[in-house]
Amino acid sequence: MSNGEKQKNIRNFSIIAHIDHGKSTLADRILEATQTVSKRDMEEQILDNMDLEKERGITIKARAVRLEYTADDGENYVFNLIDTPGHVDFNYEVSRSLNACDGALLVVDATQGIEAQTLANAYLAVDSDLEIVPVINKIDLPSADPDKVRGEIEDVIGIPAEGCPAVSAKTGLNIEQVLEAVVRDIPAPVGDSTAPLKALIFDSYYDSYLGVVVYVRILDGTLRSGERIKLMNTGAEFDVVDVGYMAPFGLKKAEEIKAGEVGYITASIKNIGDTRVGDTVTHAERPTSEACPGFKAVQPMVYAGIYPADGAKYGDLRDALEKLQLNDAALIFEPETSIALGFGFRCGFLGLLHMEIIEERLEREFNLDLITTAPSVIYKIKKKGGETVRIDNPSNYPSADEIEIAYEPIVKASIITPTEYVGGLMDLCQDRRGTFHDMKYIDAQRVELHYDLPLNEIIYDFFDALKSRSRGYASLDYELGDYVPSKLVKLDFLLNGEQVDALSFIVHEDKAYGRARKIAEKLKDNIPRQLFEVPIQAAIGSKIIARETVKAMRKDVLAKCYGGDITRKKKLLEKQKEGKKKMRQLGSVQVSPEAFMAVLKLDDDN
Amino acid sequence: MSKLGIYIHVPFCLQKCNYCDFCSFAGRGGELISEYVSALCRDIGRAAQLCGGYSVDTVYFGGGTPTLLTVRDFERILCALTENFSIESGCEVSSECNPATADLQYLRELRSLGVDRLSIGLQSANENELRALGRIHSYADFVETYGNARAAGFENISADLMYGIPEQTVESFSHTLDSLTSLAPEHISAYGLKVEEGTPFGRMKEGLILPDEDAEYDMYMLCTEYLAARGYGKYEISNFARAGYESRHNIKYWRGEEYLGFGVSAHSYFGGERFANSRDIDRYIRGLDITEERRVISPAERMTEYVMLRMRMSEGVAHSDFYERFGRGFQSVYGERLAKYTDMGYVVTENCRTRFSDKGFFISNYILSDILDF
Repeated sequence: MSNGEKQKNIRNFSIIAHIDHGKSTLADRILEATQTVSKRDMEEQILDNMDLEKERGITIKARAVRLEYTADDGENYVFNLIDTPGHVDFNYEVSRSLNACDGALLVVDATQGIEAQTLANAYLAVDSDLEIVPVINKIDLPSADPDKVRGEIEDVIGIPAEGCPAVSAKTGLNIEQVLEAVVRDIPAPVGDSTAPLKALIFDSYYDSYLGVVVYVRILDGTLRSGERIKLMNTGAEFDVVDVGYMAPFGLKKAEEIKAGEVGYITASIKNIGDTRVGDTVTHAERPTSEACPGFKAVQPMVYAGIYPADGAKYGDLRDALEKLQLNDAALIFEPETSIALGFGFRCGFLGLLHMEIIEERLEREFNLDLITTAPSVIYKIKKKGGETVRIDNPSNYPSADEIEIAYEPIVKASIITPTEYVGGLMDLCQDRRGTFHDMKYIDAQRVELHYDLPLNEIIYDFFDALKSRSRGYASLDYELGDYVPSKLVKLDFLLNGEQVDALSFIVHEDKAYGRARKIAEKLKDNIPRQLFEVPIQAAIGSKIIARETVKAMRKDVLAKCYGGDITRKKKLLEKQKEGKKKMRQLGSVQVSPEAFMAVLKLDDDN
Repeated sequence: MSKLGIYIHVPFCLQKCNYCDFCSFAGRGGELISEYVSALCRDIGRAAQLCGGYSVDTVYFGGGTPTLLTVRDFERILCALTENFSIESGCEVSSECNPATADLQYLRELRSLGVDRLSIGLQSANENELRALGRIHSYADFVETYGNARAAGFENISADLMYGIPEQTVESFSHTLDSLTSLAPEHISAYGLKVEEGTPFGRMKEGLILPDEDAEYDMYMLCTEYLAARGYGKYEISNFARAGYESRHNIKYWRGEEYLGFGVSAHSYFGGERFANSRDIDRYIRGLDITEERRVISPAERMTEYVMLRMRMSEGVAHSDFYERFGRGFQSVYGERLAKYTDMGYVVTENCRTRFSDKGFFISNYILSDILDF
């Protein structure tokens, strides 16, 4: 078979959708229907192999897998399927995956219709020039209305949906229609397997035995094990150890991977910084003349300090962040120090969920206990001297008299909601300093709202508030917009008269009093009694705007001696001494990492 | 001859109280009790072989409820002790006692066997608080038992109280103190309620409403002042007595003196070792080896224990005694670590002694866990 013939039978595609519309379940059924995974080995959401993903029922990482399919036309096809995340924070992960594909299955829930991420992901696919194949899912549910959803897809996204597959990924109904649509509607890759090698890195991870495992889409050329490769951006060169394909339960070696294919490379790469996602792999001897355009550098939206609960674990934390970064290009970090928390890292995230996921992965996969400071966005401050600075850490915020104008980032938010919740959600956006743009009816029951909202309001429990005011029905998408002038203040907290840098944050003037009171109360509830009374003060500059008091400790005694059981008492004191060692010293006040976290945790109670 | 204290654990109760995590088997008795007593006598005989150079100056029956033993059981145990040990004349023989488990006749016979100190569990003079604790008796039951004990010839009676119990207030505790002192016992113990895992209170978690830290502190201070004004000196964190009526047995624990414990869950400190028996009563009766956590106390540990225990007492640590035992000055070891607590009035050093102040006693865990090495 010539390469052209072989390529014509390859289909590279992603599955994209709004969160919970059934991407991963559809991926499960496709794996089953193509007998890539036998029924016996099947487990739910098989591609979500991180424990965290299975527990939360969400996809965090895109997953690539190769499968084979004999179509109705009698020909054998190779599918490279990439399952992608659906949450707004992980758009970047989706857009990278799309670059390795020629088409996308856009899954839409037949009971929910188009949601915010349906739109966002469809636009990403259009931007990448992908052929979009709509798939209507969950038609087994009584409230399913596939015809209405078909209409929405045509009207709102503007792609034909007449005759698109309507399936139940849960029961397996009509799955073969999806497979045939992939063969029929998604174009085969083009590329010259005899041309100089040009391969796009779209993902990578660190394996302690293999070193860095790089996932590539081969655009041109052929790569074999033993060959010497060069990474065009970093200039690093390696000898390839293995190439191959992604099987559902691991890697499968092959002699070569060719133009049009998706596969992996290992080359004993130990230095994590050498392999950047978006870089181009070529042969060292016969390089391609032009690199792939690469990916737009990712813009973190949210920053927070991450510190090891045990200061001695700083090195472990750095190591863990480096390894995670390889697998999650959106994560950025640099060292910072805090008087209260010691040595740690200022990390940039795509959003709150991303931040939460990184924290959990660090704690689970690397066995670290962490303290994370309150999330912050990047502010731009024009100083009186004319210089403009970017502030991602409240500690570096200039004093009020140095500031000419402060700017904060705005996001363009799109909210899709059933009409009955519009009133409540508009109140919410108003309360969060939003500027209303327009409201479009998707149909008689649902509307799309457009607002400009300050990002720092979004990162303060906006998503939870949105869900609770719409009984979970509203969906949100946003993209970073401009910076606008804003009346910002830095809110500081003092314990026993000493400022605790890790507690400071930047807030709009109008919100300062409310937030100050709330945090002061939380501090009061979570700081254990000390030997002395501890005043808690919230301050803007030198002005105190809220105060609370933690009363002095009065009781910490073992009154009874348990009939000569001295050992028990000794153990009790010993344990207490151990606990004290873990305490963080915030000025003259001792606080356990748990209490500190409780204070910093964003509210979910309003 | 070296002195030795003896502790006898009696792990039987009519009913388990809501806060209790001591080793006791509620509702088991009859045959089991007499088998248990036989096992105690057997062990007393065995242990005595190691105690040639010792004379016994205190015996303490604790529980559980020792007064669930028959007079005959008491007699068997006391005989075993006299047969196997050298018992000093004037030896203090104490027994714990629950109200409504001992009548006048019983107490008379106990007294005539040589038991000369009775420690009665009262806990509270308020009926609602007794119910909340799961006690089986009323205040009137206590008064009756107390009267019977006096009639039976007990001249050294102690009563146990608790503070920090559900429904209790500073006023209701004050009423309990009033009621008890009007009876004029020689000794009073007042313990703060501690919620232990595995007890009914422990299982109630947040459902259990208790007086807060400040109320407990007020109760403790009230107790200290109230009892001092009526001639009861505080000689240990939780123990108060008329002069000369301090519990000699309990003082052994705090002074690091030697004692042997017999029965399930009983603890011993003997020959430089601490060891304890397991809680398994069936194994105990069958005579299987049930010693647990036997460990030799190193010199460093001995010093830590010494400070931990001595500081429970109002007399605190005498610098001269500390130097004699450990060859180091107390101030040179602990002075610096204690400085801030001294400045804040939690610790007092005067006349070559270091001790806790009243408010210092009440946060003694905090201070000891800070200054001691483990």
